[in-house]
Amino acid sequence: MKWDLRQRPDFGICQLTFDQPGEQMVVEASAMVARDSNVDMTTNMKGGLGGALKRKISGESVFQNTFTASSPGETLWFAPGADGDMECHIMDGSHSVMLASSCFVAAAPSVELDTKFAGVKGFFSGTKLFLIKCDGQGPLFFGSYGAIHAVDVGPAGYICDTQHIVGFTGGLDYQLRGVGGLKGFFASGEGFVCEFKGQGRLWLATRSAGGIASFLQPFRPTKN
Amino acid sequence: MNFNVMYRPSGAMAQVQLEGGEQLLAEAGAMIGMSPNMNMETQAKGGVGAGLKRMFSGESFFQNTFTAMNGPGEVLVAHSLPGDIVSIEVPQSALMIQSSSFIASHMGVTTSAKVGGFKTFFAGEGLFALRSEASGPGQQVLVGAFGGITEMQCDGNLVIDTGHLVAWDAGLTYKTQKSASGWLASFLSGEGLVCQFEGQGRVWIQSRNPREYGTLIGRQLPPA
Repeated sequence: MKWDLRQRPDFGICQLTFDQPGEQMVVEASAMVARDSNVDMTTNMKGGLGGALKRKISGESVFQNTFTASSPGETLWFAPGADGDMECHIMDGSHSVMLASSCFVAAAPSVELDTKFAGVKGFFSGTKLFLIKCDGQGPLFFGSYGAIHAVDVGPAGYICDTQHIVGFTGGLDYQLRGVGGLKGFFASGEGFVCEFKGQGRLWLATRSAGGIASFLQPFRPTKN
Repeated sequence: MNFNVMYRPSGAMAQVQLEGGEQLLAEAGAMIGMSPNMNMETQAKGGVGAGLKRMFSGESFFQNTFTAMNGPGEVLVAHSLPGDIVSIEVPQSALMIQSSSFIASHMGVTTSAKVGGFKTFFAGEGLFALRSEASGPGQQVLVGAFGGITEMQCDGNLVIDTGHLVAWDAGLTYKTQKSASGWLASFLSGEGLVCQFEGQGRVWIQSRNPREYGTLIGRQLPPA
């Protein structure tokens, strides 16, 4: 299969063309935009009931759709829900990718997806940083609200605001912590940050859905 | 220090590169990511009085100072609304900035709140202006907008809707006023309050009005 990421970074969309009959793509429910009518679609709870439940808790959709080509040259279009960027990372089997659960868009069926909780620290921080662990080989597509900015993390490491994390490669260790001491934690507006160490790539979103939501909040009508 | 604005216009983000020892002053919550040698300190700049004034002007009470320790470093900053970012060199005669547009500045820039007055306050336009003064040439501020940013030249006089104002040269005289001669006509025109500029100088406008957008989307949300 081959693909073309278009209209980046404002309204990213992927046009994927299948080369062989039988080629498949697993796409997040509702992310499909268009397809040739001969591309077969099956809906399944990937990972069984247990996997579906985990995904439900992490805010992903319970169902995923698998698209299968019936002949060469058939196309499939998919896009994330938010106005923003889309990126493709080709997995070569040498490392896993951790993806913020809301950022997943599509992957080849040879990429295994496992919802992984960020751990006790993640819960305490109230950041709801749910991560999907992606392993295996093949293309992995993800999207963001705002543009996606890639940072190649070196030995020195990197620090980012948890709300802006899109994903990172498995070679990186991460730790959630406050910044600037106690005062910084409450007053800086930065809250929890994630500190990365090791060697790998980190993807950040230049906007956060929480930011626009807090802006709109005061404009909601009041009861009565 | 170098400001590198990327992903313009809708998901704009500024990559600020600092030499060792250099400092950046940023709005609380503006940091997306940074190299780990950046030291962040939170303070009510200019003391509690200035902090309170900033808070009333719609800015945060606190600001963060980022310092590059032991060599060069970087900070990624952005505002939360979808839109463009520009860097402006603060002129000798100072720069006025609409309060929610301020993102970050060189340390040599002193930014204080200037409350817009009763008329603007009651009109709910939230036009609180910040006044940025530079300690010398070359001092810059980063301003963010909702939508795209256009630099205009005020040659004698210019009228701008308050919801579309981003920044202007402080050398311009300005007053907020009704858009038409009578209150009724002003109300019916849908233009609300406008800012009347006089003199010679630059004015930066944003192509969307946050309040208009908030009203459009907000009224469709379930009551809070």
